[in-house]
Amino acid sequence: MSLNELTIKILLTTTVIWLIACTPVQPWERGNFAKPQMALDPYPLQSALRAHNYGSREAAAGGNAAQGGGCGCY
Amino acid sequence: MRGGKSLPHPRPLPKGERTVRFSPTEVGVFKAHLSLRVLTAAALILPGLLQPPAQAADDDEVAFQYSHYQEGRREMFGSVSQFNPIEVESVHGGGKFTLTDRVKFAFNYTQDTWGGATPIATLPQAFNGNHDVIDYSISPDTKVGASPYLSPGSVLFDKNLHPVQRINDPNGIGEFNGAFFRRNNQLVHTLSMASPEVRKQGDFKLGYEWDESALDIGGGVSIEDDYESRFGNINTRWDFNQKQTTLNVGLSYTHSSIHSILDHDAWPYFHKDEKYDNLTILEENGGTHLISGTKQDWSAQMGLTQVLNKNAVLEASLGYTRSAGYMENPYKAVNVAFIDPTAQDPNSSCPEAAIDLVCGNINAVMEQRPDERNQWLGGLRYVQHIEPLDAATHLGYRVFSDDWGITSHTLDADWVQPMGQGWTITPRVRYYSQDAADFYTPYLFSPQGEHSNVIDDKGRQVMLDNDSFDPEKAPHYFFDPNTGQYFDEQNNDVTDAANNGELTLFNQTQLFDRKKLPQHFSSDHRLSGYGALSGGVTLSKQFAKGISLDLDFEYYTHQGSLKIGGGGEGSFADFDYWTVNAALKVDLAALAFSSGHKQPHQAHHHPGHAPAGVMFDHMLPKAGDMMVGYRYQWSSQGGAMLNGLNAVDNPSIIAGGCSGNPCYMTPDSMAMHMHMLDLMVAPTDWLTLMLMPQFMDMNMSLRGLSTEVINLGNLNGHYGHHVQNGHETGGIGDLGMYALFKVLDGNSHHLQVTAGFSAPTGDVDIQMRRNHQTDGGFIHYGMQLGSGTWDFKPSITYSGQIEQVSWGAQASGTLRMEDQNKSGYKLGDIFQATAWGGYNLTPWLTASVRGVYTTQGGIEGEYPGAHSDSANLFINADGSPTSILKFGPMDYSQNYGGKYGDVGFGLSASVPSGNFAGNGVSVEWLQPVYTNVNGYQLGRDGTLSFTWSYGF
Repeated sequence: MSLNELTIKILLTTTVIWLIACTPVQPWERGNFAKPQMALDPYPLQSALRAHNYGSREAAAGGNAAQGGGCGCY
Repeated sequence: MRGGKSLPHPRPLPKGERTVRFSPTEVGVFKAHLSLRVLTAAALILPGLLQPPAQAADDDEVAFQYSHYQEGRREMFGSVSQFNPIEVESVHGGGKFTLTDRVKFAFNYTQDTWGGATPIATLPQAFNGNHDVIDYSISPDTKVGASPYLSPGSVLFDKNLHPVQRINDPNGIGEFNGAFFRRNNQLVHTLSMASPEVRKQGDFKLGYEWDESALDIGGGVSIEDDYESRFGNINTRWDFNQKQTTLNVGLSYTHSSIHSILDHDAWPYFHKDEKYDNLTILEENGGTHLISGTKQDWSAQMGLTQVLNKNAVLEASLGYTRSAGYMENPYKAVNVAFIDPTAQDPNSSCPEAAIDLVCGNINAVMEQRPDERNQWLGGLRYVQHIEPLDAATHLGYRVFSDDWGITSHTLDADWVQPMGQGWTITPRVRYYSQDAADFYTPYLFSPQGEHSNVIDDKGRQVMLDNDSFDPEKAPHYFFDPNTGQYFDEQNNDVTDAANNGELTLFNQTQLFDRKKLPQHFSSDHRLSGYGALSGGVTLSKQFAKGISLDLDFEYYTHQGSLKIGGGGEGSFADFDYWTVNAALKVDLAALAFSSGHKQPHQAHHHPGHAPAGVMFDHMLPKAGDMMVGYRYQWSSQGGAMLNGLNAVDNPSIIAGGCSGNPCYMTPDSMAMHMHMLDLMVAPTDWLTLMLMPQFMDMNMSLRGLSTEVINLGNLNGHYGHHVQNGHETGGIGDLGMYALFKVLDGNSHHLQVTAGFSAPTGDVDIQMRRNHQTDGGFIHYGMQLGSGTWDFKPSITYSGQIEQVSWGAQASGTLRMEDQNKSGYKLGDIFQATAWGGYNLTPWLTASVRGVYTTQGGIEGEYPGAHSDSANLFINADGSPTSILKFGPMDYSQNYGGKYGDVGFGLSASVPSGNFAGNGVSVEWLQPVYTNVNGYQLGRDGTLSFTWSYGF
């Protein structure tokens, strides 16, 4: 659990730092974000499939419970 | 990515306004706003955290995906498993649509078919768990398979409980009675084989967007034979800080139910307990062992996405999932080494104790996991644009921790490199490491006998009379080891009777005490400590007109030695797999935008379109046109068995359905689902080329024919498997390739000729798994996924239309171009004639009536090797073994083919304008009116066809 708390602290600290540190990006400066390669997940079809494979092969499948995915009993 | 909103507008522009021209400054604003849309859209798909990632952009899109998963062979340390590793074939189709400016709808359908060998338990290799099944009738060296052998019985350990093996080599750790011994700590999995099984999942999402926030609700269902889950989720999104910051919060719930029928073939090999194993024994169903349970998962997720600068985005996420209920895998067992401290007497119970060995007994119990699991997840994701190369890199880290003792770390990175002309290449790598669950163990020790003598409260051994078999009702006797006296229940001394043989008494024994085992245990290697390294590449090509094709490959290796900090599970649990997948995406918004006219041409969606069940009925009107379509067909068979035109009863099937061989069972119902992709392109005005990949799945339920009529022989055991569970197959089918030639293209009359080939990409060698030491043999001919031969498929189609009335006729054939496929047979040729008439109820809706006549020849040839390479074959009624591994009429080639008449009723709609212009959907029901089968076959219920197409 301690690792978990540590993680939460790291994430919160990161959040605070970035909210303070990041410079405003004007709407007209955001052209690069329109590029498909800049999407958070450029290949969602493929990553959903990989997540299903990982989920049925690894213990840390939690977090996508609501994706369905079935038993993966094999 | 071509959105229509621009910043100054408080509301999104209607779709129709997409085609307005922008001034250069407006273009800047437009582009800038694109970034917002991409960003907010991207924020919606926080991988693994919020609702299932649907598609990256929120433009209207239709996507199809096929994937193949192939596991490598497991290391069996000398014993050869003839089971094939796990293979999974998946197909996915989905779409998302803008219903109104602010309302979006998305749906997905996924289907997996899997089969192959999977570990069910772990044992020391010294105990010879996966031993080969030897066919001594051929020779002592002929191995015909390896059985899941969970309980080797008595085993030996050294004083430190290292497993000990008997060897022929005198250089071991000791000798006893001419036998030699050595320590062997090597562990090995026991593998079991699963026949193909199918999972189907459908889900949807409905979203509403405000200017700076959004709400999505979604849900779905995933169905397997033994596992069903339903899920729902709700997600919200808020944009802050001029949309540089986005917060996502989501909640989801999953309810799963497990209904697993235990393989009775495996019953004798492990202990089952109704109290511990969620087990119900259904007496009325021949003692079926049913494991049932439910599981619920609640999940909360939160994600924050922040634009750091004009080239970088960071996302942080947190998630919590609470799972409660039945979390065991009903197909996994744990071996227990029972070592009875009171049974180590070198003079009786354990002769090997003379050389300091310890005697034990191995048996298996079903795994036990906690009924509760709390899981936490934290993640960071960073996206950086690499200016000089116009590439982007994604770096991710995830930490997971649960109260089962598992902590895992995941690192992943990719590089998305556009290469010009629509090509993008994306290499990626991922590393994962996890600790073992607290209750993971390869196998257990228990300091008690698997069976022990029952002792009464006076310290006397409880005895039973040899004549009585029911320990509850039988008279009990008692033996006092201190005095050597025997007593009966009335405390009379019966020592003389016991000693002179008048009474034959033996000890009453009891099974081990479950309470002395740990509360939770599992040998599932997914709960062990290990690391996994995977890498792959995605190659993507964006074609004109909004179509893109992605090809993806990945290799994954799971190794105990890759665990962070070492200490992972031994190499026996290592495995690897690779996957390939192909995805086709059609961006509907891009099409409408790029085509530059508000209404895509309607030529092939003209009212009067042929019914849904008719293929090759239209061509693309002019060179350069393309079309994407999806075609679904569901056929159902059921009702009585037919012979020719007539329904027949069981005795008739037994008498005639199996060529004089025993007839054990017969189909009760059968369903076939086909998903086909229709890809058309017109290189010239008079020629259209068409590619049609298919994905299919089938299931058949069976019923037994009267046991009074036949002797089931050793099929008796086999029988239950097939009647209880039915048979399923699924996967990729044959690939169709066609050329359509325009012969006549008048205003009212059209004539076209099609020449095509079907490539044998579907499996024709699917076999059922081994049961009762008997091979399952090839599955029924009708459940293989393809023809196995190259087929020639010509057709000629005429259609006409005057005002509201349309009509058409088609003749088509399927001719097998090879004498036999690789499984030794060929399907019969098919000829079909059909004619239809339609009437336009409205300008966009057509109703149709159709008649179809089909004739198909019988199967020539049959499966090789008389269906079995095993010596353990079915038994004839007279007790003699038979080499026939056939269950019933569906396994005899003469019971295929026939003549069929059907009447079809259909509706076709095409969308003439608006958001969905260019889309066409049709549905048709084919009702059988005449069925004349060859031999003995199941009757027909009908066929439903559905098509969707989009032309541009």
